[in-house]
Amino acid sequence: MITAWRIFKNSWKHIGRNLWIGLATVFVFMTALVSVNVLLGANVMTTRVISLLEQRIDVTVTFQPQTPEAVLNQARFYLLSLPQTASVSLVTADEALTQFRERNKGNTKVLEALNELDANPLGGQLILKAKRSEDYAFLLSAVQNPQYAPFIKSSSYDDHKDAIAKIQIFGRNVRLVGAVLVALFALFGLLTAFNAIRVAIYTHREEIAIMRLVGASSMFIRGPFVLEGIWLAFLSIAATVGLVFGSIQIIEPHLLTLFDGNDPGLIAFFYNQGLSIFSIQAAAIIFLSALVSWIAAGRYIRK
Amino acid sequence: MIVLENVSKIYGKNSVGLEGVSLRIEAGEFVSIVGQSGAGKTTLAKILMAEEQPSSGKIKIGDWDITRIRSREIPQLRRQMGVIFQDYKLLPKKTVYENVSFALEVAGDSPRHIREVVPQVLKIVGLEEKARRFPEQLSGGEQQRVVIARSLVHRPKILLADEPTGNLDTLNTRDIMDLLVKINAFGTTVVLVTHNREVVNALQRRVIMLRDGRVESDQAHGKYTLSI
Ligand SMILES: Nc1ncnc2c1ncn2[C@@H]1O[C@H](COP(=O)(O)OP(=O)(O)OP(=O)(O)O)[C@@H](O)[C@H]1O
Ligand SMILES: [Mg+2]
Repeated sequence: MITAWRIFKNSWKHIGRNLWIGLATVFVFMTALVSVNVLLGANVMTTRVISLLEQRIDVTVTFQPQTPEAVLNQARFYLLSLPQTASVSLVTADEALTQFRERNKGNTKVLEALNELDANPLGGQLILKAKRSEDYAFLLSAVQNPQYAPFIKSSSYDDHKDAIAKIQIFGRNVRLVGAVLVALFALFGLLTAFNAIRVAIYTHREEIAIMRLVGASSMFIRGPFVLEGIWLAFLSIAATVGLVFGSIQIIEPHLLTLFDGNDPGLIAFFYNQGLSIFSIQAAAIIFLSALVSWIAAGRYIRK
Repeated sequence: MIVLENVSKIYGKNSVGLEGVSLRIEAGEFVSIVGQSGAGKTTLAKILMAEEQPSSGKIKIGDWDITRIRSREIPQLRRQMGVIFQDYKLLPKKTVYENVSFALEVAGDSPRHIREVVPQVLKIVGLEEKARRFPEQLSGGEQQRVVIARSLVHRPKILLADEPTGNLDTLNTRDIMDLLVKINAFGTTVVLVTHNREVVNALQRRVIMLRDGRVESDQAHGKYTLSI
């Protein structure tokens, strides 16, 4: 009991007596944690940019003139029933004509030519959005089944194909690079943090040797260092949480312009996932810092 | 009390610490270990305090075979043994009192016991007046006396001292030696490693001379004779 109390007390004494080393250790921990969180935030935003880009993609399927509206409606419902479809909007032949007239308002020649025709030369259109850009090819082949194929005049997919593919590859690369960077920074951060612990314990090597000489158990020697490691890790995760939540409030309004007024998703991300993200980080850094303290202190317990 | 049977310590291919050393030290004895540099004196001391394990042979302290002592059992051994070693100095950031009380604290002694014992041992070494000073505010001899005080807190049965007067002048050396003799008079077995010829000759006690890791001579009322 008295021993447990002394271990606890000594862990704070260590921090108090080596305040600067403690602060430096916290600072190194924080650098590691913050850089991981900055990368997570950056990852969220690039993913968001890509999905905004993807949302802008749509494919227009143009039907033959005089296609019955029932066919268009059927085709629309059919597409809506597929899980890959995000939305399908219908532009009827009449609406297409109105839009056409609107676009060519100043062009009397075109309008005159149009008036000379008996029937509407334009067909209806389905404007199709897929949930994921890689699904367009599938959706187009689906709608081009024997039931609808004879009515379909053209689709704009072929014009967009390359652009869609580029966005896809870009998105995939960004996510991959992001994940690799997060992992690398986490690793380097941990290594520097561990070194900071080792340095902090190195300054106690004489004390450790003497403790052992006068009959301290290994537990009694290591305990305070392990606890100290836990306190410092805890302190740095708390400071990091504060820093991250503080800075996203400041940063996000500035990002709105970049995102054309769309939600950059930074605040939303940390509010929705913050608990699990920071729990994982806290668990990892507290556990590892305790473990490293245990090992590092043990190195100076000669025998 | 202390028994060594055919103890050898081979550090490496060309480095022999001890070779076939057999000794028997009775409770209450005052034994000096002498020999040239590299003779194996410190190695012997380290084996006795279980900082090193012998390559072969057997060591017993009392009834306790510590030849292959487990790390977990070492604290128990150290609490029965006071050790004075050049390697283990005072902690500069602690006062004299704290340097001594520390040794009891880490062993789990109660605050009450600590308040009782620390002044006692400081009195034995004659430093009760200087308890609040820091090591740098003491002379070399005084610092060494604090180290001795620290080694006494567990009321050890054995006191192991490796060159306790190594850095001291004649006067301070005599003080330290008087102290060790006094401690021995209380019943503690003292094993003293030294280079100092006058010290050994003045003691008129048992002298074990090592040479190249072997016991060269073992005399009950020994003189440290030149034997080169
Ligand atoms: N850790 C070690 N590794 C390798 N060899 C060692 C080690 N410690 C001691 N030795 C060797 O063992 C031999 C005995 O060394 P030891 O330190 O016991 O001598 P000593 O009698 O204490 O000498 P001194 O009077 O100089 O202190 C020496 O040859 C030394 O080089
Ligand atoms: Mg030596």
